[in-house]
Amino acid sequence: MDDMEDDTTIFSTLKSFKSLISCPDRSLLETEPAYGRSDLQKLYTKRVELEEAAERVRSHTSMLQLTQEKQQMELSHKRARIELEKEAHSSTRDLQREIDRNRELLLKIRRLEEREEKANQALNEQTENNKVLKRNLEELHKKANEKDRKLTEADQMISELNDETRRLNQKIQIQESKFSTQNLEIQALQEQLDVQRKKYQDVSQRYHNLQSSHSISTESELKMKELERRLALQEQDSVIVKNMKSEMARLPELEREIKRLREENTFLRETKENNSLLKEETEGLRRKLERVERVMEEKLKAELEKEKLEQELQAWENIGQAAGLNISIRSVEKARAELLPEIAQLRAKAQEEQKKRENQDSLVRRLQKRVLLLTKERDGMRAILESYDSELATSEYSPQLMLRVKEAEDMLQKVQAHNTEMETQLSKAQEEAGTFKLQVQMVTSELEALKEQQVSNTEKNVLATAEEVSSLRQKIEELETERQQLEEQNNILEMRLERHNLQGDYDPVKTKVIHLQMNPTSIAKQQRAEDVEQLRLECQLLRDRIRKIEAGGGVTTDDTTLIIPPSQEILDLRKQMESAELKNQRLKEVFQKKIQEFRTACYVLTGYQIDITMENQYRLTSVYAEHMEDSLLFKSTGPVGSGSMQLLETDFSRTLTGLVDLHLFHQKSIPVFLSAVTIELFSRQTVT
Amino acid sequence: MKRVLCLLSVAFGINSILYQRGIYPAETFTRVTQYDMSLQLTTDAMLKNYLTNVISQLKEWLFDCTVQKLVVVITCLETNEVLERWQFDIECDKTAKESSAPREKSIKAIQEEIRSVIRQITATVTFLPLLETACAFDLLIYTDKDLEVPEQWEESGPQLIDQSEEVRLRSFTTTIHKVKSMVAYKRTNST
Repeated sequence: MDDMEDDTTIFSTLKSFKSLISCPDRSLLETEPAYGRSDLQKLYTKRVELEEAAERVRSHTSMLQLTQEKQQMELSHKRARIELEKEAHSSTRDLQREIDRNRELLLKIRRLEEREEKANQALNEQTENNKVLKRNLEELHKKANEKDRKLTEADQMISELNDETRRLNQKIQIQESKFSTQNLEIQALQEQLDVQRKKYQDVSQRYHNLQSSHSISTESELKMKELERRLALQEQDSVIVKNMKSEMARLPELEREIKRLREENTFLRETKENNSLLKEETEGLRRKLERVERVMEEKLKAELEKEKLEQELQAWENIGQAAGLNISIRSVEKARAELLPEIAQLRAKAQEEQKKRENQDSLVRRLQKRVLLLTKERDGMRAILESYDSELATSEYSPQLMLRVKEAEDMLQKVQAHNTEMETQLSKAQEEAGTFKLQVQMVTSELEALKEQQVSNTEKNVLATAEEVSSLRQKIEELETERQQLEEQNNILEMRLERHNLQGDYDPVKTKVIHLQMNPTSIAKQQRAEDVEQLRLECQLLRDRIRKIEAGGGVTTDDTTLIIPPSQEILDLRKQMESAELKNQRLKEVFQKKIQEFRTACYVLTGYQIDITMENQYRLTSVYAEHMEDSLLFKSTGPVGSGSMQLLETDFSRTLTGLVDLHLFHQKSIPVFLSAVTIELFSRQTVT
Repeated sequence: MKRVLCLLSVAFGINSILYQRGIYPAETFTRVTQYDMSLQLTTDAMLKNYLTNVISQLKEWLFDCTVQKLVVVITCLETNEVLERWQFDIECDKTAKESSAPREKSIKAIQEEIRSVIRQITATVTFLPLLETACAFDLLIYTDKDLEVPEQWEESGPQLIDQSEEVRLRSFTTTIHKVKSMVAYKRTNST
């Protein structure tokens, strides 16, 4: 470095020196061009010396430089050698490493080859996936388009709904204003209602007072009439009472007569009872008589039977004595013995009954005597009574008297009761009459006072009251009509209020409606709005995608199908297809032409037109056929391509039976047959 | 106890309305036996939370007798129209609140009345028009004007139905409250 610094200083000094040289040269040259050449030569020599010095310096410096460079080169050479050795070492190491790396890289290469294969497979799969994805893309595009449609529709719907909401809001406002006006009207009507109700109440009170006073006056009139009727009745009753009093005077005498009659009545009743008892006894006695008579008859009969039985006994005893039948006698005796007590009983009964009959006869006689006596007494009593009746100047019998007595007693009782009632009624009526008289006096005094009042007022007041009454009545009628109308309106308003209440209306002055901020409806609406936003974003994204695809080269037809630019393979395949189709068409044309030529050639050469009617059937028509329908049918039998044919029967073939027999059956050659047929036809044609 | 009955009945009524009208899918409801009837209660957590919030607040207001009506509003999500309104008018006997003497109405009678109301709600399904679109519901409470509105609550409109038909249902009374129920639904064009 020091050498370098020395070099630099040397260079710098050289430069400065050169500059010095150059400057003075110039200056010398410029300023003193006219000076003599001696100066110039001196200068020149100086310069040359300087230049030589400079060159020496330069050479010295170059020498120094070279030596330095040499030293440096040697150093560098040494260094380079060292470095080369190092590098050789390192390169050997690197070589080894690289060999290792090579091996590793080979391994990697193998793996990579394997991976390549896998990647190829994956590529294939991915191509397939790509195709699938392309299809999906197409479908998605379709869906996107549909969504687009739906979104446009939704947008339209939303705009329509917005319009509707505006209209509805307007309607709501109008209805609210109407409602407020109606509320005001309702309040005004209610106030009017109250006023009218007060008036109505006043009027109704006055009316009630008037009605009460009217009713009181009518009641008083009615009471007056009733009192007058009662007075008339009471006068009648008083007359009756007087009559009754006169009749009452006769009472004591009647009571005495009544006592006597009662005693006689009791006596007669006892006699009646005795009579009845006697009658019953007579009846009993009669029955007993009858029974006794019957018993007597039976007794007679029994005596007759007894005589008969005694006769029989005697007979039997005779027979018994004759025949010597002791047993029969004993039985007869037994029977006789049995009969004897019965006979005794009967006799006792008959005696008893005879005694009874005698008693009863005696009783009967006594009773008859008593009856006679009683009848006589009765007659006497009747005579007495008749005499009594005659005394009383009445010619009626006792039962009617008794009735009259009873009637008189009843009448007495009724009269007494009636008297008491009448007395009480009299007292009450007198009291009521007194009160009514007082009331009547009060009412009359009031009426007179009212009349005086009316009279005290002028005639106009009378008219005025009449007018007032009429006007009041008119007012009452008007108020009633108003009341009815107001009631109807009230009902209608109440119905409306009820309806509104049912619908959920409320009075904003008294109530308010609150709900939770986070309620399900608001949450649902938010979600819906978010869904709509998301759909819109999706739509926009899809639309952008579609635009990009269109820009990429697709053609949109009807906004529904998006034709992605077909790939090269598809274009090649299409071209191949077209070429193949063209080839096919050409081949077909060529085939047809060839077939036509062949057929015409066959027809011309062989003389037969061969058509295939059905699968294995061939129809031959000759050139020289007389009719168009003349044809031969051949059917190929056996496997296809073997060539064995059979002739089928046709109308034409029936005409050629000879040829058929000869050529087909015997010679078994179809070409010969066919040629024979042509010859035959040709001959026919030329001949005919 | 009887106040609680009123609340419970309201809660069950709301659940049965949600179940019957199909606002939430039937799978989200479980059957519970109470008042000798099988009732459907929801298992959806959010819905349960919402209902408990509302009912706890309602309990307070019922005690103070400041509630006038409770309304279940069913709106169609697509058109934002109100399709049905189930309204429960609550009349509170304020004097009974102060007296502590038990009244004569038995718990069994009250339960019987609540049962009949819930049965009637089930029966109304026959004549109510079908809810074909997706719907959501909201609970509105009509209170006195001067009531202080709590934090999470806000004022709203009455959400009336345009062109509605109304049907009054049964009412039931506890000793303190009388609850009248009615349903209003949007008139369909075919009727």
